[in-house]
Amino acid sequence: MSRRYDSRTTIFSPEGRLYQVEYALEAIAHAGTTLAILSPKEGIVLLAERKIISKLLESSSNSEKIYKINDQTIVSVAGLTADAEILIDRMRNDCQQYLKIYNKLPNTMQVVNKVCDFKQGYTQFGGLRPFGVSFLFAGYDSLNGFQLYSSNPSGNYSGWLATSIGENSSSVQTLLKQELNANSTESHNDITLDDALKIALKVLSKTSDNTHLSADKLELASLSLQSNTNKPTIKLYTPKEIDNLLNLHDLSKKEEE
Amino acid sequence: MSVNDIISKYSYKSNLDKELLDYNKEISFNGLPNTINNNSINSLSPNISIPPISQPTDFLRAHTDDETNPDCSIKIAHGTTTLAFRFQGGIIVAVDSRATAGNWIASQTVKKVIEINPMLLGTMAGGAADCQYWETWLGTQCRLHELRNKQRITVAAASKILSNLVYQYKGMGLSMGTMVCGCTPKEGPTIYYVDSDGTRLKGDLFCVGSGQTFAYGVLDSNYKWDLSVEDALYLGKRSILAAAHRDAYSGGSINLFHITEEGWTFHGNYDVGPLFWEIKEKEGSFNNVKG
Amino acid sequence: MDIVLGIRLKDATLIATSKAFTRGISILKDSDDKTLNLNKKNVIAITGESGDTINFAEYIKGNVQLKGLREGHEMESDEIASFVRHELARSLRSRSPYQVNLLVAGVNDKEEGFLSMIDYIGTRCDLPYAAHGYAAFYTMSLLDHHYREDISLDDGLKLLKLCEEELNKRMPMDFKGLNVKIVDKEGIKVIDF
Repeated sequence: MSRRYDSRTTIFSPEGRLYQVEYALEAIAHAGTTLAILSPKEGIVLLAERKIISKLLESSSNSEKIYKINDQTIVSVAGLTADAEILIDRMRNDCQQYLKIYNKLPNTMQVVNKVCDFKQGYTQFGGLRPFGVSFLFAGYDSLNGFQLYSSNPSGNYSGWLATSIGENSSSVQTLLKQELNANSTESHNDITLDDALKIALKVLSKTSDNTHLSADKLELASLSLQSNTNKPTIKLYTPKEIDNLLNLHDLSKKEEE
Repeated sequence: MSVNDIISKYSYKSNLDKELLDYNKEISFNGLPNTINNNSINSLSPNISIPPISQPTDFLRAHTDDETNPDCSIKIAHGTTTLAFRFQGGIIVAVDSRATAGNWIASQTVKKVIEINPMLLGTMAGGAADCQYWETWLGTQCRLHELRNKQRITVAAASKILSNLVYQYKGMGLSMGTMVCGCTPKEGPTIYYVDSDGTRLKGDLFCVGSGQTFAYGVLDSNYKWDLSVEDALYLGKRSILAAAHRDAYSGGSINLFHITEEGWTFHGNYDVGPLFWEIKEKEGSFNNVKG
Repeated sequence: MDIVLGIRLKDATLIATSKAFTRGISILKDSDDKTLNLNKKNVIAITGESGDTINFAEYIKGNVQLKGLREGHEMESDEIASFVRHELARSLRSRSPYQVNLLVAGVNDKEEGFLSMIDYIGTRCDLPYAAHGYAAFYTMSLLDHHYREDISLDDGLKLLKLCEEELNKRMPMDFKGLNVKIVDKEGIKVIDF
């Protein structure tokens, strides 16, 4: 019976639901976890766990979870990587187009808004499949400083202090809430980037299905301000740097236990 | 030898130009300012409003005569004198009625005031067909506005509809010089000048067409805001007569209109022939003509 | 023969335009305004092909206002100048290009004066003082001579007066005086000049 309402994205079911959109969300719930923590004053950390790992994969050269959009925006992906590439390509293009016209990069909200409008279109216009992709956006602009947004296949987006998408995202979010409360006796405003980095790794190590965290299963990036120029800078961590961080926070020992 | 001297030595001069040149020299030798409304006497700056070129008439011919040069940059609205002005008692609109095609007088009885609706008048200069068609079209747009919004359209909005329309056709050969005149409770008596390059100007007094300069001459010098309706109607009529007399492309008869809050009223059609002699006798003017 | 003139000060910008509207050999209006306020802190002054001027100015204003509305904050001077230049460069390659020259005047987010000169081919130049058309020939030497970076508003107006006097003296046509606007952090003011 319900088959009649889920073959097309444009048709509401009698309960008022769009099944194709919900199926897309389901696809994302099985994708590799990615989480982000905002340090309002210092920057944003993005951490993602890779699903496909094989000893045969030449992993160091291809990133499948975290992408740079422009000099002040990075995103991490949960969902179909091929779909994501299309959207990322669009975002990069839109940003350069905007730069050409206004001699200025768009504000984070504009980037998010634009790509989400595009995603929304695929939930309404006939015969098309929605993008099976959720994003975490980490951005900086002179108007609103550091910002963290998440988006989903329906085209909805929202701003966060810390959040997660993908597999186990609800348990990650619960843990994030606990960790952030435990960590800062003051408000979330004063959390440092180093704290954020530590919490991110710690939370993921607890929720991950893998027995232990290691660099080949992770992607890590941060967005912060250069201390001398006050310009936004993006750091994509190398596997070696990630290993060093894991060692530093005693998180790589899990397998010895 | 100045550049101007070189130019004048090696370029063609009409008799009129020579006369003008001599006239100007005479005036400046007398040390008098050769301008009408210049209060400060400054021998360095002759303030007369002429194009900044040595031979204004040649220049104008080169740039406005679309018969010899179809690509000329300024296209003067041919064969017409129309005017409209605002005053204490509303608006006066006056026009001539001659239509010309080159040197040929095609008609002496053209209606150059287009009655857009009972409240709005449009004048016609340039292409008669363009004006007639688009101003009646404007009438339907105004009526639609009334039906949709349950109130009369303002003159500002009506003129904007027309100017937006002609702007769409810019560079495609439309030729119109028109004044949209009307009176609304919101604006009072209002005149907008709209032409086919997309210009739209609000103002108190406009003259449009090949006879505009002659009409401006009489109108500017006798215009006052406090004019009585009777005097204003006469001034409108007299200004068109002046243009009909001097401009070969204007003539026929004069149509007079008066606009108030109640709408427009027609104040007669006057054949320029008898009117000329009547006014000449009454005013003792036009002494260049022996009667 | 239209006059469009701008002077940038430390925390404000002056813009002056001639009041005469000329068509053929007649001055049709002596109270024409060649400027358009785009938002609270930015104004453009525009000359060129009649019809194009108003239409282009209103097109720019519409887009500036729309962007302000969409993003919840007003567009900044540099963004506007960049946008205007882009639109003109785009229009240049179209079937009927806008033939307009303009100045963008305003104060930026740092509350500094801003002045940009853009012509119909899409050349943009940010300058301390600028003019289009014949007015530039008469006034640039004056401004080169007297302009200083840290000039006060009063001195700026005096300098503008000097320019007007020179234009009145040497321009062959009566331009019917100048409309003058001051843009500062308070907004855009029209002043008696």
